[in-house]
Order: sequence, then structure tokens, then C-alpha cells
Amino acid sequence: MTSIVVPRPEGFAHPRPALLDWLTTVDHKKLGILYLYTTMFFFGVGGVLALLVRTQLAVADNSFVSNDAYNQIFTMHASAMLFLFIIPVWAGFGNYVVPLQIGAADMAFPRINALSFWLVPPAGILMFSGFLVDGGAAQAGWTAYSPLARGLGPGMDLWIIAVILLGISSTIGAANFMVTMFRMRAPGMTMFRMPIFCWTMLVTAVLQLLATPVLASALAMLYIDRNFGGAFFDPNGGGNAILWQNIFWFYSHPAVYIMILPGMGIISEVLPVFSRKPLFGYTAFVFATMGIGGLGFSVWAHHMFTTGAVLKPWFGFMTFMIGVPTGVKMFNWLGTMWRGSISFEAPMLFALGFLSMFLIGGINGTFSAAVPVDFALHDTYFVVAHIHYVLFGGSVFAVFAGLYYWFPKIWGRRLNERLGQAQFWLMFIGFNLTFFPMHLLGLDGMPRRIATYSNESGWEALNLASTVGAFLIATSMIPFTVAVVAAFMRPKDQPNDPWNANTLEWWTTSPPPVHNFDDLPEVHSERPLFDARHGGAGH
Amino acid sequence: MAVTGMRRHVRRSLLLVTVALFALASIGVASAQVGTPKPITDEARKIEDLWIFTLALAAVVFVVVEGALIYALVRFRKRNDELPAQTHGSTVLEFVWTGIPVLIVIALFTYSFIVLRDVENTAAAEDMTIEVQGFQFQWQFTYQLNDLGVNSDPAASGEISVIGTAAEEPTLVIPIDEPIEFRLLSNDVIHSFYIRDFLYKLDVVPGRDNRFVITARETGDYFGQCAELCGLNHALMRFKLKVVTRDEFDLWVAEQTGGTGDSAVRRAD
Repeated sequence: MTSIVVPRPEGFAHPRPALLDWLTTVDHKKLGILYLYTTMFFFGVGGVLALLVRTQLAVADNSFVSNDAYNQIFTMHASAMLFLFIIPVWAGFGNYVVPLQIGAADMAFPRINALSFWLVPPAGILMFSGFLVDGGAAQAGWTAYSPLARGLGPGMDLWIIAVILLGISSTIGAANFMVTMFRMRAPGMTMFRMPIFCWTMLVTAVLQLLATPVLASALAMLYIDRNFGGAFFDPNGGGNAILWQNIFWFYSHPAVYIMILPGMGIISEVLPVFSRKPLFGYTAFVFATMGIGGLGFSVWAHHMFTTGAVLKPWFGFMTFMIGVPTGVKMFNWLGTMWRGSISFEAPMLFALGFLSMFLIGGINGTFSAAVPVDFALHDTYFVVAHIHYVLFGGSVFAVFAGLYYWFPKIWGRRLNERLGQAQFWLMFIGFNLTFFPMHLLGLDGMPRRIATYSNESGWEALNLASTVGAFLIATSMIPFTVAVVAAFMRPKDQPNDPWNANTLEWWTTSPPPVHNFDDLPEVHSERPLFDARHGGAGH
Repeated sequence: MAVTGMRRHVRRSLLLVTVALFALASIGVASAQVGTPKPITDEARKIEDLWIFTLALAAVVFVVVEGALIYALVRFRKRNDELPAQTHGSTVLEFVWTGIPVLIVIALFTYSFIVLRDVENTAAAEDMTIEVQGFQFQWQFTYQLNDLGVNSDPAASGEISVIGTAAEEPTLVIPIDEPIEFRLLSNDVIHSFYIRDFLYKLDVVPGRDNRFVITARETGDYFGQCAELCGLNHALMRFKLKVVTRDEFDLWVAEQTGGTGDSAVRRAD
């Protein structure tokens, strides 16, 4: 067992005041923590907005909020959840974990890293300040379809600028992650010995680098249309209304993978540790991730089958095809657990929640790939069910798997196990109660994004069930909050590797020192810690 | 220690059974809903067949994978501290579980392609064209008097126009058993013309001339609604659909035109 001694960078001669330190830090760990706090805050805000949506829809012909307010609320719910929570929360985990997993002292460009983070809070403030301006916040949906978005109030401009800022944040962040993983891996860590979470962050970074500038161009055009008399998306001025959708979805479909791939990465770290086996088919998993990323660029128009303006068979076929690498991943996860020794600590429970729910999110997506079936389902609550089975059943469960898993590393304390189990079951049941009925509502013809529905529609019972489920999900945040507060009230007591894990972040102390590692083990496989525990590679 | 272990075991098994029951109940509820909505056109019936085919495949995949997951959790839960065999993968298995989904995908695609072609086969000449104008926030349905299907008078001039208002939803009246074309137009923003029991919607896009043809096979009262967010009162862009016999349709036309054959505009207010 040989170790490599890591040269220690010189620290500051004088410790700075804590607040100044947090505001000016370029340490990837502190920035990661800032990302996590910020994004979990917006998760809470988006969640409150979701509760307002569900309250309004709980009964037919409700007037809890006005149509005007409703359109703002659901638009800002999705915008907060996608742009201010899910996408940057992966940057948070990535920031904290990626340099540690590859045995680096920091990200490649620490100052750019700080810039990436510090673009997020002002963007969030800008986006939400729409509620204070004349006409209210953005209300064209997170998809901002034009010409509708052309004609709305100034809240829309604030939304556009906020999303551009977030786009810059994730574009430069993506470059940073790529360089970090390409150039700063520990000795012996070839690309195909890199932890799977890093791989998913890498593919995500490539998608962000290629797709996000396209979104920025669409947003710039929309801004010009709105403020400088442009007509890119206005047919009355010679523009094309479908153009917006093409450009928007060219970004936003890969963005769906930006929102889920790192979650798959977290699951792929957790399952092997709690099954005490290596990830089944590591190489196949890496190629499946790349396959999803590549195919992700060829399916954007499946959001546009009912426009009558796209080549439906092609996009239908490619959309079906993307199920293949996704299936490979699912089977590899099952293969990982097969003949393993599975224990059910909180991180594992959330990972299993991901598996069982993301499976449904994958299956119900195939209905929309069958183009004629999509004619019936498109823009109904069936699609709302689908995205939530992917992004909540998938991504959000993965976020909590990651939080319970890395909490001991990041904060040196463990979250209470019983509270974790309580949170999981409340969330799992609440999630299904909220979103499963939406399949049936969609089949029954309930369009999405409607502020109210009539008494005659027959949609009331399922909507009420869904609303009860939403409040159950909200309740599940109580044990989580209690667990976090309780953990912070205890002293740091966690060993380097409380889970018998596999990857380098567990080699160093919990939490790690500023420079991350005093020494590193030699890396002979994708599981250097397993090798160290069991006497060398070859298992 | 043994008792505690036993209790943990029982508790875990109970939880797992709960999950399993939940999953089964989900399938039960889902399959009970097959047949909702009620397909009332030739096209919708084909779409429903495709839906059932997809649902059947989906159910099989769901049961197999979710079943394997639950089986693994029960069968391979931790019993002792022994390290399980460290298998890293299997190329054969990777090919198998890449190959089988590819076959499923090809089957699904082929069938959906055939249905798509049938549904969009507008070569069968339509008997009449109804112009659907979507606007913020209602619909206008316009019939040309010289294009009312089998009983129309080619020499007639004028039109029937039904306009919805905020106060009253408009009613779209169509005859049964005749191919009818809908021509979708908008001058403001994008709307989507959606009738649940057609199992169909098509966007109403400014600057585009979107059309589709259906043949209704069942009389009755149905409903439709805008399915693309179009602004403030998007939720209120509802309309009624009445599928009637040819005789009833002719009567309705006569009523609209006051029996004169001249143009008439009826406001649904």
C-alpha cells in the first residue's frame, strides 16, 4: 500500500473573518456548500409555489388565486425548480465532490468557479423581483413560448436576463468541470478509473457547453423582439412562431439530461456502496451516459409533434431510441444489487426511490414517443406526471440520496437515520399520491397550465388527491429539517469513511482540510478505497 | 440481538410489501382507466389501439423491472458481514439488455409509424371544411354554405359563424360519418385545438395553416379546450362539440341561416 504525498499549498497568513471568508472564498468546498444552501433555498421557494398551485387546483372553479396570479405562480414554480434548483444543485454537489473524487486540491479555475456561483443569487433575485413590477412576474410558462412571451409585461424581461445570467454561470462552470476532470486527476486515475459521478458531471458539462449558448441566443432574440422592435418570432413581422420552439427545445431537451445525469451519477455511487459490490458494467454505464448525451441532441422536436411543423417519424424514432441507453443503466443498477449484500440506510432508500420512480418516468415517456398517442397526451397532465416522475422521482430523490450520503463528509456529522427513514416514506408516498393521479387526469383530457377547471369535468377527485399528496411532500421536509438542525447541534464526529465507500473523497478527513489531501493512495481501479481496504486491486 | 434482527427483518419486509402493493395498485388503477377517453372518430380508434399496445408493453416492462428490483431487495438484503462476490459486469448481459429494448423500440416505432400515416392520411377527400379561429380567449367556427358536405348547395354563398364569448362557450356542430377537415388559424398567439374524445390535438399557430381530417362515428355531446398556454384566460377557452346525424345537421344549418341560405352570424352570447 503506497501513498502519494500531496504538496500542500500555502494558506493565508492571517485567518480572515468568517463572513468575509464566505463572501470571497474560491475554495471549491465552500462554494459547493454555498451552492447547496442557495439551491435548497430555491427548492423551498419553488415548493411553496407548488403548494399554491395545488391549493388552487384542489377543487373545481376555485378562486383562491386569480388567473393572472396563477400563471405567474406556475411559471415561477417551474423556473425556480429547473433553473435555480435542479441545474445548480448539481453544480453544488459537483463542486464539492468532483475535485475530492479525483484527488485534486481544487477546481481548475477557482476564481471562475466563484463567479459561476455568484451569478446564481442575483439571477434568482432578478427573476423573483418580477413579482414587484407592473404586470407581475413572468407568466408564459418556463418554456416562454412566443409570440405569447413577446407581449407580456416587464417581468418577462427580468426573467430573460435572469436565465441568461444562469446560462453564463453554467457555461463557464461546465468549462471549469471539464478542464478539472481532464487535467487534474490523481496519479493512476485514468479516465476509465474515474468515479461514475464524475463521468456524469463530465457529460453534463459537455451538454451545457454545447446547448446553453443556444438558449442564450434564443433569449437574446426574444429580448430584441420585446424591446427593440424585432420580429424573430412574430409572423406578422415576417418572423416564425415555431422558430422559438425549435431553438428553445434544442437547448431544453439536452437540459433535461443536464437535470438528471448527475442524479444518475449519485445513484451509481450509492448503490455499489450499500450493496457492497462494484457498479455492474462500469464501462457500459459510461458509454450509455455518452449515448444519452448524444441522442439528447436529436430528440428536441418531440416537444413539438402537435405543431404540425416537424418531421414526426424521425423525432419519434430517436425518442424511442433514447430509451435504450436508459434501459442499459437501469439493468446495470439492478445488476449492481444482484447477489449483493444490501443494507437500507437513508442514502440507499432515496436511491431505491429513484430507481423505482425513474423507471415509471422512463416508461410513461414512451407513450409520448409514439407520435399518435402524443397527439392525445401532449400538453395534458399526463406530461406533467411524466416530467415529475423524471425530475422529482428521479432528480429530487437523487438530491436527497446525495445529501444523506455526503453529509458526513461535508459537515462531519451524520443525519439522524430514523428521521431520514421517516422523510423517505413520507416523500415517497406523498410523491406518488401527488403525481400518479396526473396520468389519469391527462388521459381524461385535463390540459396543463389551466388556472381552473369546471365542475362538470369530473377532474375534482383526482385533483384533490394530488393536492393532499403535495402537502404530504411538504410534511416530509419537517423530519429533514429537524435532522439537519439536530446534526449541526452535535460536534463533528465522523470518521474519514463512515460508509465503507469506494472513492477518494472518503480517504481524507470529514470535513476535509482546505487543501483536501495530505496524501493519496495509488489508484488502480475505479474503487481505490476498496482496493486499500482489501489489499490491492484485482477484486 | 436475534430478536432485534428478526424485528428489523419483519419491519423491512412489511415496508417492501407496502411498496409492492402500492406498485400493483398503481397498475390496477391505470388499467381501469383504459377506455377513457371514448374514441369517437376512426382516427381516434386507431390511436386507442396503439395506446393499448404501448400500455401492454409498458406494463410488461414495469412488472419485470420493478419485480426484479423488489426481488433483489428481499433476496439480497444484508444478512452478515461477508463480502459478496465482486462481479464487475458481463458483456453478454450488456448485449442482451441492449438488444431486447432495441427490438421493443423497433416494434413500437413501426406500429406508431403505421398509425401516424393512417391518422394523417388526408388523401381521402374531405366532405366539408370548418375554419377554426383561435383568439385570446375563445374560438370561432366558420362554415362555408357552399361546403356543407353531401347536402350542400354549390351555388350558395355566405357562411355560418359561431363565436364564443367569455360568457358562453361556443358549440361546434358536425355531422356523423362524413370526413371533416378542420383548418386552424390564429392571428394572436399559439393555441391548441384539443378535443379529448378525438384523442387528438393540433396547434393553432399564427402564420401557419394547420389542417386535419376526422370522421366521427358516434353522435353525442363532447367537449374541447385550448391546450397551449395562451395567456390570462387560457383556462376558459372551452367549447362544446355536438356530433349529430346528417338530418339534424341540415336542420341546424337551416336554423342558422333562417332558411334563406343567406349568410348569418350567430353570436353565442
